[in-house]
Amino acid sequence: MNVRRHAAIGFAALTGACLVAACGSTSTATPTPKTASSASSTPTAAAVQTGNPSAAVTLSEAGSSLLYPYLQKLAPGINAAYPNITLTPAAGGSGTGQSEAISGTIDMGGSDAYLSPAQFTANSGILNIPIAVSSQAVNYNLAGVNNLKLSGSVLAQIYSGTITTWNNAAIAALNPGVTLPSTTIIPIRRSDSSGDTFIFTSFLSATNSTWSSGPAFGTTVNWPTVTGELTAQGNPAMVDTLKATPNGIAYIGISVESTALVDGLGEAELENQAGDFLQPNQTDVTAAVTAGAASVPANLAASLIYQSGAGSYPIVNFEYLVVNPSKITDTSTAEAIRTFIEWAISPTGGATSDNLAAVNFVPLPTNVVPLVNTALAQITG
Amino acid sequence: MILVRRRAGGVPTGPARVVRTRTHELTGGDRVFRWVSGLAAFIPLAGIAFITFMLVFWAIPAIIYSGPSFFTSTKFFIGNFYNPDFSVVNGIRAPFGATYGSLTFIVGTLATSVIALVLAVPISVGGVLMLSEWVPRPLEGPLSTFLELLAGIPSVVFGFFGLEVFGPFLSQHVYPALSHLGGVIPFFKGSWAYNGQGLLTAALVLTAMIIPIIASTTRQLVKRVPVLATEGALALGMTRYEMVRVVTIPYVRTGIIASALLGWGRALGETIAVLLIIGMTSGTPVNIFGTTSTLASEIADSLDSALGDATGMAVRALAELGLLLLVLSLLTNIAGRLVVRRVSTEALPVGRGI
Repeated sequence: MNVRRHAAIGFAALTGACLVAACGSTSTATPTPKTASSASSTPTAAAVQTGNPSAAVTLSEAGSSLLYPYLQKLAPGINAAYPNITLTPAAGGSGTGQSEAISGTIDMGGSDAYLSPAQFTANSGILNIPIAVSSQAVNYNLAGVNNLKLSGSVLAQIYSGTITTWNNAAIAALNPGVTLPSTTIIPIRRSDSSGDTFIFTSFLSATNSTWSSGPAFGTTVNWPTVTGELTAQGNPAMVDTLKATPNGIAYIGISVESTALVDGLGEAELENQAGDFLQPNQTDVTAAVTAGAASVPANLAASLIYQSGAGSYPIVNFEYLVVNPSKITDTSTAEAIRTFIEWAISPTGGATSDNLAAVNFVPLPTNVVPLVNTALAQITG
Repeated sequence: MILVRRRAGGVPTGPARVVRTRTHELTGGDRVFRWVSGLAAFIPLAGIAFITFMLVFWAIPAIIYSGPSFFTSTKFFIGNFYNPDFSVVNGIRAPFGATYGSLTFIVGTLATSVIALVLAVPISVGGVLMLSEWVPRPLEGPLSTFLELLAGIPSVVFGFFGLEVFGPFLSQHVYPALSHLGGVIPFFKGSWAYNGQGLLTAALVLTAMIIPIIASTTRQLVKRVPVLATEGALALGMTRYEMVRVVTIPYVRTGIIASALLGWGRALGETIAVLLIIGMTSGTPVNIFGTTSTLASEIADSLDSALGDATGMAVRALAELGLLLLVLSLLTNIAGRLVVRRVSTEALPVGRGI
């Protein structure tokens, strides 16, 4: 196969060029370089070498069940744009995504949570690359109440068992004029490993010092024992359990929000840093992302929880793909990963408003794109 | 294991042409059979040995980290991965705040499986005796088939049924009545989850899961009770009840214990059904309705979180839980065998207690 050999030589040259230039510039070796340097305003940003790999590449992905439906929507699109790239997404949980990407079992691992400092230390060169922004709603099942306002601190006290009834003074103070029942609150939480637990507990930690010095945040935390508490596995089960539990409260990922609302559950207005009470919608989530994106560190492990700004919804997070460049030894696979992620975050590629709206996600802010490009340039095969 | 061995001096005598000239008397088929059956006997043993070895190997750092508190602590928490600090115990580093205590799961596993067993054995045996002694013959076949089909229902279906239908039903219609027992038995005092999640619901669903296992085995045993003995009993003027009590039950007693052990093993290791309905909270249950967790369901529930642990200790702690479950299954099996040895005698165990 002459073509293939030429391509191989081309790739060797490419990799060589990349090594020499420390991946700082774009090579012109490929015929149609699709460099997605939409961040032309920042000249220091690395342009990323993308294109249709010369050989067919199957990109394996597993992990976050919140990201999974979005990647399923992207799979046909990437194959249509780049016929040699086939994406095979799978669920399994964020922990599975992280560990299998680190061990090299899969090419990319989906995760709702950014990698822990210990993971960055233990796995030199590991990347967590945001591809979209998700958010979370707090829902409740309370007869006769449909405009409940809550704050992170009150939620922390509910989930600690210090606020036990709906007509507690702290809740009443946030809801003047609302008649609250004297019934016992039943907090519902995830028992399995969960990115939703991660962002919910991040919100509680950001707003309540007792919580941040106690259970803190993680995909599983040391939950305080609350009388009557219930648990569920997965977002759909959270909706089911809340539906079956009068006086219950639950945190539910935005991708299943429509089912929760159809079932007649209430959606709390959450207090943000500016003191406004908001429900998750595209505008308010985008406002939070814009506020949070200003301070994203180089390793992209950024929290978008409880951002400043009047219109910023407080529970917002990046959806990550974890890639371990040291386990990607094949140049075609490396090119396919770079191409897929560049395409996935491009508004003209995978991040169309239709695709995002299907799972209630919000596009990546433009000022994060140069950081993503720098990260992608490290995947060289 | 069936091995064909050459007996000393076992060469058949007879006409010279029959004596084999080979040094041994095995045919090709015999040798193939010996190897195949030997291998078949070796594989399960090797499998168990390998699994045990791997679990011990994996669990060693967790065993050193936890020490005896593994058995005495009710708290199992895999630690806070995002805290920059680590917990270091006995020279082993784990995520901040990591505590690997299994007492909650030991209590949950034993409580659910023992309750299930205590309920399932009489129901199964009673049901089978009804089927074999009183139900008309034309109905017996279809009913038995139904019983065997029950054994094939996937456990996730039982779990889902428990979560969506059985649990809410129990919490609204059965537990309010049961809680009146609270005055007599303290364990029944107190409240329960609105959707029924908890220890007793899990135990009742496990009961439903192991009844077909115990019943189908018991049915095979009851069918093999010698007709001579049962009809003899009737001929002596015994009633059906007396015949069952004096002949059938003593005859199948050891078999029932063996099948109960089989059911107990299933109940101990049941994962997904229990995971869905026991509530999965850490800590021993406050009463018989309370939420808790078991060894098998905790391993399944925590594995994904554990995989995110950079120190790798969380997975090792789960391996220690797995090892404990293996040992627990082994111990219950040995205990069961001792019981079988006690109740079985050389003579046909029929007719005692008349």
